Amino acid sequence: MILLSIDNIPGKEITSVIGLVRGNTVRAGHLGKDITAVFKNFVGGEINDYTKLMAEAREQALDRLREEAKAMGADAVVGLRFSTASISPGAAEIVVYGTAVKIG
Amino acid sequence: MSPREQTEPSENELRAMAYVDGELSQAEAREFEVTLAGDPALAREVAELRALQLVSRQMAPPEPMDYEWERLKADPLQRTGVGLGFSLVLLGTIGFTLWGIWAIAFESELSLPAKLFSVATITGLVLIFLTVLRGRLRTLPYDPYTHIKR
Repeated sequence: MILLSIDNIPGKEITSVIGLVRGNTVRAGHLGKDITAVFKNFVGGEINDYTKLMAEAREQALDRLREEAKAMGADAVVGLRFSTASISPGAAEIVVYGTAVKIG
Repeated sequence: MSPREQTEPSENELRAMAYVDGELSQAEAREFEVTLAGDPALAREVAELRALQLVSRQMAPPEPMDYEWERLKADPLQRTGVGLGFSLVLLGTIGFTLWGIWAIAFESELSLPAKLFSVATITGLVLIFLTVLRGRLRTLPYDPYTHIKR
């Protein structure tokens, strides 16, 4: 499955557009990570636990998008976009969406 | 020709860069490929740009961040400090909870129904927490995303 943020696939031709596909997730760390993050806020620097949390959420959302695109018979997803929101403090919500297409 | 004119890319060179980077639309890319077929010099330039793109990817310096973080985490003083800190917090939390239940049940001047409701609330919260924890510990080995670092 080809995932692209651009609207076309260089060297390939989009033969048909299937439709919108998306994947989302909300993941939380645990209290221990939040406690260390609080102290990181005092001293500065990258909050590794939250970086990891966002990465986990991103990959899970991408996998869900991939699954949906595959189920729809798509060869690729173009115009991929990520969006994030904050439902709960300490949790990462990621929404990824794009257009599922078939290529020639 | 002035030095400035020498450094400014031509229209075709700009399109070649955009083509190699995949920034042209499908129609523009197709149009450019037609131009490319009739212009060997431009085709050579596209090939050079592709080679340059590959080299620049390979030449990208390795990021020392992960190694540095791993080294810091492995530092005995760091591990002991964090481990001891969390152990004390955990011990204190469990102690406070048990002491709270005991104080409400046996030492407070609350009426019997108030004592029962307070103890039931605290016990309920602890029960929910333990059940959620048990569920998480059981699903943790099957969570494919826990290995992702960033």
